Amino acid sequence: MSTATLEAPETPPVPVKPTARQVRRRVGRTILLVIMILVAGVMLYPFIVMIVTSFKTESQYLLGRGTSLQSWKDLNQTLPIGQELLNSTIICSAAIFIVLVIGGAAGFAFAKLPFRGSNFVFLTVVSAMMVPLQAILMPEYVNMAKLGFTTSYFGAVIVYAALGTPFSIFLFTTYFRRIPDELIEAGIVDGLGYTGVLTRLILPIALPAIATVTVLQFIQIWDDLLVGLLFLQNPSQRPITVGLAALASGRVTSIPELLAGSLVSALPAMLVYLGFQRFLIQGLTMGIDR
Amino acid sequence: MADIEFDRVSKIYPGSGGALAVDSLSLAVADGEFMVLVGPSGCGKTTALRMVAGLEEITDGTVSIGGAVVNNVLPKDRDIAMVFQNYALYPQMSVAQNMGFALKIRGVAKGEIARRVNEAARILRLEEYLDRRPKALSGGQRQRVAMGRAIVREPRAFLMDEPLSNLDAQLRVEMRTEIARIQRLLGVATVYVTHDQTEAMTMGDRVAVLRGGVLQQVDTPQDLYDFPANEFVAGFIGSPPMNLIVAGLEESSGVLTARFGDQSLAIPERYRRTHGLQQWIGRQVVLGFRPEDLVADTTASEDLLRARVDLREALGSEILAYLAITSTTDVVLDALPSTDAETVRKRSRVVARLSARTDVVEGGLITLSLKTDNLHFFDPASGTTLRTAG
Repeated sequence: MSTATLEAPETPPVPVKPTARQVRRRVGRTILLVIMILVAGVMLYPFIVMIVTSFKTESQYLLGRGTSLQSWKDLNQTLPIGQELLNSTIICSAAIFIVLVIGGAAGFAFAKLPFRGSNFVFLTVVSAMMVPLQAILMPEYVNMAKLGFTTSYFGAVIVYAALGTPFSIFLFTTYFRRIPDELIEAGIVDGLGYTGVLTRLILPIALPAIATVTVLQFIQIWDDLLVGLLFLQNPSQRPITVGLAALASGRVTSIPELLAGSLVSALPAMLVYLGFQRFLIQGLTMGIDR
Repeated sequence: MADIEFDRVSKIYPGSGGALAVDSLSLAVADGEFMVLVGPSGCGKTTALRMVAGLEEITDGTVSIGGAVVNNVLPKDRDIAMVFQNYALYPQMSVAQNMGFALKIRGVAKGEIARRVNEAARILRLEEYLDRRPKALSGGQRQRVAMGRAIVREPRAFLMDEPLSNLDAQLRVEMRTEIARIQRLLGVATVYVTHDQTEAMTMGDRVAVLRGGVLQQVDTPQDLYDFPANEFVAGFIGSPPMNLIVAGLEESSGVLTARFGDQSLAIPERYRRTHGLQQWIGRQVVLGFRPEDLVADTTASEDLLRARVDLREALGSEILAYLAITSTTDVVLDALPSTDAETVRKRSRVVARLSARTDVVEGGLITLSLKTDNLHFFDPASGTTLRTAG
């Protein structure tokens, strides 16, 4: 029996010349990279200035040389920074908890338990997202003051929850609509009621929606000044943003001290964002794939 | 005593203009019986199943499970387990947790849950996957987990809603036998919904054929095939389905003849008695015969059919030859209920199941003989069988 072998002819390696399309793509990517670096620089510059300046005294700041921890020490003496951070945390946590509970339950009902006129109610609730805070601030303040809620966390918590709930309902409804009905029916046949289905089957798989609502609400509430200023009349309950505003409006304002305070104020929101970033992208892009 | 019983059950979906999804369905599923509900899309089979599960409200009539009317009983209290089309496994739970979840809700002791889950896993050959999440399983494995979730409940009845429709063809055949095996092993009354007549025929102890919410016939698979109650069942059961041709019935010299186009077929005398054909002489009937009753052996004494081959499908073991047949008149077709265009189309085309070695050429003429021992006759107006005896 004869066998034949095929051998590739020996050819010297030829340098591969990039095609015009490949060249265009490389140039395009380089231009995009440069633009992104510039945008990142613009975004990061104030933050870097904030960090650098916070480690200077007032005179070092004016001279532009030297570093010091003095402004951090001053900040600690001027402001009850720990208490204010705690206040902000309490207000944020309570408001977000309410937003999640109401948003989750209502979203489940709108998505999976349709009732007569549910679409109309849903649209009405969602349209509340379009109402600006400033438009309802004064009537809300009058209501809360009459109820005596401006001397405790409760007033601010309720206002933040009311402002955040429409978005939360919208997001949860959108998310839950993607969950197959069979999953809910399987839970019901297995022996759960609707509350059990929501808490034991649906919410555990709604982490992206929960994370998205949590992060966006946290950033919004943590960074807000107006509601805290109006609805928290008791100075011992004021959040960090109101504390910083008080610092800024003092007769003599130390810029390094103010920026040290701003850094303390900004960090939690940034950490929350970075921690939940993965879920946030999932949550915000949901619904665009199907 | 029937384990599951539909007694004149109707379902009207609100907002659908009062259309009946299920129309006065009466059906009894015996203890341990495998009942298949089959029919085309929108025939009401899934709705009927969901009414047993308690996932749909019953508009009229009663559904009983184990002799007790369950119309107003919550799904969780009906002692049924359901397998869904897309399996509906809980994605955040492992296979073992999925299977034991219903027992956990009912407060069954952990040891007992583990015992039942392991037993079900053994039956379903899932032991090595118990710690996996559903997304790490193949379609067939997911399907088995869905079965396992039903099995561990040890319910009074299994309800299965097209559980194989998401699987590929080969796996579907495997799972078909697997489900039938498990059902027989456990001996639990089962209602199985499918649109696939092959599944229905191979799995069911009995098969209920539905169309437009109305039960057409319920019978054993073989009896459905041999004695269809109407044209719809005749055309739905069997692959390829029964050939249905509008033919004029004549009598000359005492011999009954069915005439369609330029063809004529002598009808054996016994059909005069079994189908009451005497009163149809001079009128038109729908003549039905199975594709396998047409054979290429033209030396046989059976009646001959001459036709042009429209299409030839070689399946390896056999050949399906689609033949153009001239039906009696178009007028008759127009007079028929026009809802079923498919049935009308079939009447101008006949399919023959021939042996693989038959010489069949597309566009050529072929002469076939028709075995006349399994002919069917239907009323062209109502579509019901003319069979009255035997």
